[in-house]
Amino acid sequence: MKKLIIGMLLICLVLSFVSVACAAKLKIAFMPGIADPFYFTMEKGAKAKAEELGVELIVGEYPKAWGPEYQVPILKALVARGDIDLLFTAPTSTEALIPVLKEISDSGIPIITVDTYLGDGDYTKPSNYNFPLAFIGTDNFLGGQVVAGQLALMLGGKGKVFLENTNPDVSSVMGRELGFRAGIKMFPDMELVGVEYCLDVQETAAAQVNAALLKNPDLGAVFGVNVFSAQGAYQAITSAGLEGAVKVATWDATETLIEALKRGEVDLILAQMPAEMGALCVEWGVKYLTEGAEIPKKVIPGFFVFTQENVNDPEAQKYIYK
Amino acid sequence: MAKSNNDFFIDFEKLSRNRTILLVGRNWAFIFLISMLILFSFLGKYFFSLRNFNNIILGVSSLLLLASGETFVIISGGIDLSIGFVMGFVCISSSIIMRDLNAAGYSPIISIIAGSFGGLLLGLIPGIINGYLVAKLRVPPFIATLGMWGIANGLAWRLCEGFPIGFLPLQVRDIGNAYLAYFSPKKGFSFLIKPELTERGDILSLVKIIPIPILLITFILVIFAFILSRTKFGQHTYIIGGNVDAAIRAGINVPLNIIKIYMISSFFASVAGILLVFKLNMGVHTQYTSSYELFAIAAVIIGGASLTGGKGTIWGTIIGVLLIGTLNNGLMMMGLPIFYRFIATGCILIIAILIDQFFPELVHSE
Repeated sequence: MKKLIIGMLLICLVLSFVSVACAAKLKIAFMPGIADPFYFTMEKGAKAKAEELGVELIVGEYPKAWGPEYQVPILKALVARGDIDLLFTAPTSTEALIPVLKEISDSGIPIITVDTYLGDGDYTKPSNYNFPLAFIGTDNFLGGQVVAGQLALMLGGKGKVFLENTNPDVSSVMGRELGFRAGIKMFPDMELVGVEYCLDVQETAAAQVNAALLKNPDLGAVFGVNVFSAQGAYQAITSAGLEGAVKVATWDATETLIEALKRGEVDLILAQMPAEMGALCVEWGVKYLTEGAEIPKKVIPGFFVFTQENVNDPEAQKYIYK
Repeated sequence: MAKSNNDFFIDFEKLSRNRTILLVGRNWAFIFLISMLILFSFLGKYFFSLRNFNNIILGVSSLLLLASGETFVIISGGIDLSIGFVMGFVCISSSIIMRDLNAAGYSPIISIIAGSFGGLLLGLIPGIINGYLVAKLRVPPFIATLGMWGIANGLAWRLCEGFPIGFLPLQVRDIGNAYLAYFSPKKGFSFLIKPELTERGDILSLVKIIPIPILLITFILVIFAFILSRTKFGQHTYIIGGNVDAAIRAGINVPLNIIKIYMISSFFASVAGILLVFKLNMGVHTQYTSSYELFAIAAVIIGGASLTGGKGTIWGTIIGVLLIGTLNNGLMMMGLPIFYRFIATGCILIIAILIDQFFPELVHSE
């Protein structure tokens, strides 16, 4: 009888230690923007860092389409759990998510925005959207300029280019467009002949690039701002038999795009670092929660440019979205 | 003769007896299509060219298939909302089969054939389920196919996890982009084999005649148009849509026919999915923003079918699809932003419904 009681006491003690340890484990929540390879890779990076630091990563359900009407219900359900210590999310609208995230922030959960931002992304000045701890993401404007510069290099500084964009109301791709336009302006012999929006549908992108090829027989290059616009663009160019003749620049290094780069259908890929972004969110979040560290309001991990020359380099492989 | 309640200031009954109005009303979609072709040739440079027409046809190839399948369902008085996602599901499944068999060492041709037939068979399952739900369990078609819409999408997503399926055998792209004949000023006429050209000027002046996928689609459409208009099964489809009680009284096995009709619809969606693999050289899931099913239904209605069933033809659907495609392409060649194209398609659809509502005698022959 005595043995039994001691045994049970020991078990209770162990169990309470375990539950205290679990409860003490920090819980970081990630609310992605949409179900696509970029965010899947971000989750993987965040998860790896979370395991390394011994915190728990809780991932919200991936929205099927881009927009606050899809994201907000999932976000609210995620926060309703009640045990989140920090949230990092990609707000799907620069305006509509401000009140929602402010409410969450006021309830004691610090926010980090990743990939997209609230308002104009500057959290240092007084405004109604300066409550997030930080914005961690790509400088899309700079990326657009880099692509413009690289295409100019490939085309020898002169030629016509076309931009295949996706959704006109998404801050990240519009930033890329603005950067690209600014970059092309710096080369007086280059001309942006058109911009189209495919709304993330690859077939539409292909049809639009086909029309552009028809209207501009001497087109030099096409820049597809995300996975679907890029895939549509090179599909159109290869079925016209013009791969290599018309340069294709794309954004986001999925495995299919890398494969296309190796086959010569695509000439340039600008890889963001979604895994790095996810890991940085977790790392800075933990630093803030455990040490109260001051984290910089803007963290830009940078990007990696894939071309046919460096696509097989061993150091380049880790930037591929898997 | 007393005026019907539908009259506002126009005596529709009198109008409908006018022969010219009748002819125009019955064929309004076709006349509109021809007028657009003429108009856009003037408004958009390069619109009137073989390359552009190829682009239009290839651009609507998926819609042609989806809308043709939908025609059967709408004639029977039902609706199928799942076709877009079934297409995506089959696209993903068949490309996975092709990729994995090829990677396992089977020859590319075997992988491609196995992938195509595998995808086709898998794609019939949603049709069987839809048909069973509607016919035997009396679930309203809208709800039944909406359920399948979600299931097909979920399955496709689970299989591909949001990533496109690449690494397919190279022959896939060659078949998808092949044409029946080529003509090059440099190399002359060539049947099925694309001439080797390296100069950009030569590549651009290569004339490509009739894409192979379009040949296949035409073949399938001719067969099914025949089935719809000349076989008993086709007749039964119309009767079920027109008056289901009369169909039952006439001894038609309505549940079995309904199941077959929904299977036809998902068969077309499967073919569209497999065709997509050949066109894109990869497997992709259907995006939420594509609204394939909506445009398919719009095309069928523009082509003369009625949402209540009993009317419609494959030929009318083809006109409807070409109308939507030409409108989209023409406005794009003119440089009009994408938002206006959506508005334009919406307006055409409303016109179609209005004509259907107010001129039922015009659109549907007695």
